[in-house]
Amino acid sequence: MADVATAPNAQADARERTGRKRGPKLDAEQLIELFGIPLIVVVGFVAFAIWRNTATLDSVETNALPWNSIWIQLREHVVLTAVGAMITVVIAVPLGIALTRPGLKRAAPVVVGVANAGQAAPAIGLIVLLAIWFGFGFWTAIVALVLYAVLPVLRNTIVGLQAVDPTLVEAGRGIGMSNLMVLRRIELPLALPVIMSGVRTALVLLVGTAALATFINGGGLGGLLNTGITLFRFPVIVAAAVLIALLALLIEWLGQVLELVFRPKGI
Amino acid sequence: MWDFIVERRSQLLINGFNHVYLVFLAVVFATIIAVAIAILVTRLPKLEPVANAVSAIGLTIPSFALIGLLIPVSKIGDGTAIIAVTFYAVLPILRNAVVGLQGVSPTLLESAKGMGMSEFTSLYKVRIPMAWPVILAGIRVSTQMSMGIAAIAAYVLGPGLGTFIFTGLTGYGGANAFNNVFVATVAIIVLALILDLLLIILGRLTISKGIRVA
Repeated sequence: MADVATAPNAQADARERTGRKRGPKLDAEQLIELFGIPLIVVVGFVAFAIWRNTATLDSVETNALPWNSIWIQLREHVVLTAVGAMITVVIAVPLGIALTRPGLKRAAPVVVGVANAGQAAPAIGLIVLLAIWFGFGFWTAIVALVLYAVLPVLRNTIVGLQAVDPTLVEAGRGIGMSNLMVLRRIELPLALPVIMSGVRTALVLLVGTAALATFINGGGLGGLLNTGITLFRFPVIVAAAVLIALLALLIEWLGQVLELVFRPKGI
Repeated sequence: MWDFIVERRSQLLINGFNHVYLVFLAVVFATIIAVAIAILVTRLPKLEPVANAVSAIGLTIPSFALIGLLIPVSKIGDGTAIIAVTFYAVLPILRNAVVGLQGVSPTLLESAKGMGMSEFTSLYKVRIPMAWPVILAGIRVSTQMSMGIAAIAAYVLGPGLGTFIFTGLTGYGGANAFNNVFVATVAIIVLALILDLLLIILGRLTISKGIRVA
C-alpha cells in the first residue's frame, strides 16, 4: 500500500490510488461498472428526453433548454475532453518514457513530486488564474485541462515502465534488439495496462473539469448549469447537472472499455 | 500583492478558517459514514463489489454537477457545500476501509475469538486498529480532494476561500482580479499541504505500534 501514502488532490485520481486490483479476469466490480454504467446512461438520457418533451416549462425554462443549444454544448464538452485527452497523452507518455531512460532517471522522482504538489491546486483556481494570464476562451481551458490531466498519465507511464522486469529487457538486448526495439516491443506493451489506467483517470478528470470551462468562455455543458443557477430555475439546474453527470459516466465507461481493449493478450 | 494580503488579512483568515473547517467537518462525517458502511460490508461480503463500484462511479460525477443536483434539495449556501464535499470525501475512505477491514487475517480474528472477544470487541480491538493505516490513507486522499471541491462550492455561496476566486472572476480586468485568484489558490494549496502534514502526524500518534512500518 505504499502507493496510497502520498495524497494527491484530484477527484478521479483518488480512486486509482486506493488500490484497485486488476486481474486477468473481470471481477464483479468491473462487471457492475461495465454493464451498469451504459444502463444508467441510456435510462437517464431517455428519461431526460421524455421529460424535456413532455414537461410543462415556463417560457424562461424553455428558452434556457432548447435542444439545439443542448447539442452544441454537449459537442463542445466532448471536444474539450477529447482534445484535452489527446494533448495530454502526446505530452505525458513521451515525457514518461524520457524520464525512465538512463540519462534522466534521477529526475523522475523530482518531476513526479512537483506534479503531485501541483495537483493540490484547486481546479477552479487554476482555470481562472490561467484565464487572467492568457485571456478567456477555448484554448486557455484546454491548457488548464491538460495541466490537470497530465499527472496521472505521466505517473502511470513512469510506474508502468519501471515495473517491467529488467531480465526481460536484458533478454531483449540478448537477442539483438536495439534500445528502441526493446522499448517498442517489450517495455511499452508490458506497461500499457498501467498507462491506460492513467489515461482513464485522466479522462474522468478532463470531463469533470471541462464543466468549469464555461466560467472562462471555454464552452461545454457547464454553461447550461451556470444559466440555470443564474436564473435560479430548478428544472434547468437539475437537467444540466444530470446531462453533465451522464456524459461523465459515459466517458468513464469509454475509458474502461479502452483499458480492456488495450490490454495485451499475453498478460 | 503584499498590500492586498495585508489589507484583507482578516477576511482571508476568516475564509481560510471556514474553508478548513468545512473540509474538517466533511471529512469527519465522511469517515464515520464510510467506516460504518465498510463494517456492514464485512458482515455481508457480497456487497463488496457493489461498494467499490459505487465509490468508483461516484467519483466520476463532476462536483459542479453534483452541486447543481443538490441546489433544489439543500438550497444555495453552506448546506449544499457541506453535503457535496462530504459525498466525495466518503468515497476514497469507503474503498480503503473496505480493503482494510477485509484484509485483516482470519487467523487474527480467530485468535481474538479464542481469547473470548465478542464480535464487537474484536471489531474495535482488532479489525479497526489493523485497518487504521489504510483507512487513514483514504482520509488523506479525501482531505486533499475536499479542499478543491470546497473551492467550487463557493460558487453557490458556500463558505471558504473559493469566494475570492469567484470575486476575481467577476472582477476580471479589475485591479485586484489577479490578486484575489492567486492568493486564494495558493492559500488553498498551502492549507491542503498543512492538513496533509497534520494527518501524517495523526497517523504517527494513532497507528498501533505493533504494525507501524519503521
